[in-house]
Amino acid sequence: MSSASGVPVLTTAGFQVLLALASGHSHGYAVMGFVNQLTDGQVRLGPGTLYRTLARLVADDLVNESEVNDPSAPHDARRRYYRLTPLGEQAVREEAELMARLVDAAQNAGLLDANRRTP
Amino acid sequence: MSRQRPLGLGTHIFVPDADAAVAFYSEAFGAAELIRHRLPDGRVLFVELAVGPDKLLLSEEIAELNALAPAALGGSPVMLLLELEDVDGAFDHAVEMGAKVEMPVAEMFWGERYGIVRDPFGHHWALCTRREQLAPDEVADRVPSGPTDGTWTGQ
Repeated sequence: MSSASGVPVLTTAGFQVLLALASGHSHGYAVMGFVNQLTDGQVRLGPGTLYRTLARLVADDLVNESEVNDPSAPHDARRRYYRLTPLGEQAVREEAELMARLVDAAQNAGLLDANRRTP
Repeated sequence: MSRQRPLGLGTHIFVPDADAAVAFYSEAFGAAELIRHRLPDGRVLFVELAVGPDKLLLSEEIAELNALAPAALGGSPVMLLLELEDVDGAFDHAVEMGAKVEMPVAEMFWGERYGIVRDPFGHHWALCTRREQLAPDEVADRVPSGPTDGTWTGQ
């Protein structure tokens, strides 16, 4: 399934991982920490979900995984490095723009604290 | 214990040969392998495949656990539903890869272009592309008198 622009539709976890990578976090541990901290613990991105999500993003050509020195080492996504591909950047940008429109509508509907978006 | 609202529903199928099945599902249905675990004797305990936004678990037959593939059971009563953008292309490709036609692709009264294949491991797959978004009453008005010769007739 893909969006109108041909970019694969992201899962919630997929979007959060791409967001962490776009925010400058490239190490698996840092991606987990970013998501858990950003969501105040509401989203618990554990090692199993991290691994599955990254494997799916790599298969969809949204993320590149760095080479490791020791190919016989156990594959642990927490210890590896990842970066967005151009398609991954397009996917996370499109999803963020869609979310921004939804958040604007939520604000207009009075669902959010009026001062919420002011830093 | 009160009735619970489940957190999810998954599909777990059994095949005689995991490598052959993963190769087929990857090529024919665009699956991507995420995780694989083996038993100490080398048999594949399970492979987790991503299929679009969903998951498919696949295991090799383990007779000791009575976990058998369709051939050992004389067939499968279960249908896996796969939605695609181009059902005709996917259907033809699956057949080229060794799937058997069970119902050729046709326009169906419920608003989908739809066909059924049996994969080389005995599992039934309904492939479809959504064509119209119909309200339930509109579908009810279109139900034909009955299926014949293994497919639906009339619209």
